[in-house]
Amino acid sequence: MRRLLSHLFMALAFMFMAVPVFAQGGAAAGAVNWVAITAGFSMAIASGLCALGQAKATASAAEALGRNPAARPGIQLALILGLALIESLALYTLVIIFAKVN
Amino acid sequence: MTTAEPLTTDPNSEAFYAAALDRISRFMLVLTITLSAAAWWRYGWRIVLGFACGCAVAYLNFHWLKRVVTALADRATQPGRTQSSGGVVLRFLLRYVLMGLGAYVIFTVSPASLYGLFAGLFLPVAAIACEAAYEMWVAVARGT
Repeated sequence: MRRLLSHLFMALAFMFMAVPVFAQGGAAAGAVNWVAITAGFSMAIASGLCALGQAKATASAAEALGRNPAARPGIQLALILGLALIESLALYTLVIIFAKVN
Repeated sequence: MTTAEPLTTDPNSEAFYAAALDRISRFMLVLTITLSAAAWWRYGWRIVLGFACGCAVAYLNFHWLKRVVTALADRATQPGRTQSSGGVVLRFLLRYVLMGLGAYVIFTVSPASLYGLFAGLFLPVAAIACEAAYEMWVAVARGT
């Protein structure tokens, strides 16, 4: 059953990829706004990677705090600075995208 | 097998590094005033308005981040007396809502100020860089 479903989903994916074949050609085909599409993908990738980084930092800090509560001030400082800097990476991407799209 | 030694044993150093977050907050305030004055002179009041809004959002964002991390540390080290996890998560998510709302309002009212807002959102990075430079200067001055 699972094998059948995976085949079905693969077939559906190929069918969705084939949809542009039926698109209108000529001048309309050249009007694709690749900057906007790439901007959306890059923002999604940046946000996802920043979320993964924040999750990893928070999990490591929580684990370290659980093992060694006496080291709390240092771990807390490093976590706050790390989270702030990771968030700024997503902001860098947003600013670059905004500058390029506009 | 070697035993792990603590990184800092000097109480003065520990006190110095423990005050880093307060210094960063002060750096943020000083940078807001200094850069707003410079931007007013160079770009005009619209950009400064956006920059000031960005700085305010960034300051609040950093303050709430500190509180969320403190709550997380409380939860990890003192399992008995902790605040509700719902409040922690709500505060963490509210930061993003506030940033998005600020950006939307600025973009609706004055799109020219949006670049100022973006510049203001990087205030914590500039303050952390100032703190790093200050710590380096203190380390060089102490000869450590």
